[in-house]
Amino acid sequence: MSQLGPAPTELDVRAREALAELLLSVADDEFIIGFWDSEWTGIAPMLEEDVATSSIAQDEIGHARALYELLASVTDDDADRIAFGRAPGDYRHAALLNHARGDWAFSVARRWLYETADAVRLAALAGSAWEPLASLAAKMRREETYHRMHVDTWLRRLADGSPEVRARLAEALERLWPDAQEIFTPLAGEEELARHGLLPEPMRALHASWLSQVRPVLALIVPDLPAATPSIEGRTRRTDDFTWRHGQFTMVVRSDVGASW
Amino acid sequence: MSTAPPGERVWEVFRQEDEGDPMIHSGNVNAPDEELAMHYARELYGRRGESHRLWIVARDAITELGDPDLLKPPLDRSHKKPGGYIIKHKLEAAKARAGAEAGE
Repeated sequence: MSQLGPAPTELDVRAREALAELLLSVADDEFIIGFWDSEWTGIAPMLEEDVATSSIAQDEIGHARALYELLASVTDDDADRIAFGRAPGDYRHAALLNHARGDWAFSVARRWLYETADAVRLAALAGSAWEPLASLAAKMRREETYHRMHVDTWLRRLADGSPEVRARLAEALERLWPDAQEIFTPLAGEEELARHGLLPEPMRALHASWLSQVRPVLALIVPDLPAATPSIEGRTRRTDDFTWRHGQFTMVVRSDVGASW
Repeated sequence: MSTAPPGERVWEVFRQEDEGDPMIHSGNVNAPDEELAMHYARELYGRRGESHRLWIVARDAITELGDPDLLKPPLDRSHKKPGGYIIKHKLEAAKARAGAEAGE
């Protein structure tokens, strides 16, 4: 991929490692939420919503693919190997994405938390000094704008719904709230990323910016959300739900290891 | 014509393939409100990049005229069609005249 420009080879080993860690965390987030939401194919509340949710899930997998390819160019690896060839413990998605699909309110709550956080992160990545990452982030933002509109609509619909609908939404938001912070878990190589302008703002600043956006909206649905901060193991904690999910999405690859598809 | 399930409305979707092309009726979606109708129209008629523009119109906002007495009345309408005026021979005569004048 020579069109990606010379930047990564000019970076020293530590900076390349930091860049790889950043790309892997974003890619894994998109990859895993894409798989969870794809489970709604065939069972979403309406036929039209079925198509919309499936298409959005597919978009997320597409973003993951583009990011894995970028990562593969930095680490001289293979995108498919990175996506499907790792043990569950080697994935670096945020703890928010450890949970199984749940009911519709749970999926809407998770996607709303994720899309709002992803928007803040993508805005920062669009300002990356590494042009291939900046331009990919800019393209992803154009699609994510629509995802964001779609899930905003659903959050409002459920929040204005019957008492049971409202209660389910509030319960899901409350349950996911601590794990949603983990999207902004500090990365080990953040100083390196800042030094080279690869990630223009630290995760701490992005987290604060996200909180200031989502708090006022969430306060109308869950009045007493506790203060929460990202933890150090926010991207390394894994659950049985995820181990099951991993078994599902690697099933075909494992059926014939090394096959060319 | 299908009717929407309770709580939903039918929205007719018109698609334009390229700037300047006509808006062509593509089908419809069921959705509870305008916002979701827009999302669903986008997913069903535009997710593959095949559309330049979509119009999404609530079916109940459309004024329909389908009365055959008004549109296909039983009496002869041929005098309303341009084909009712046969100008082929007049045209040939005019051309011959023009040719003759040019030849002089």
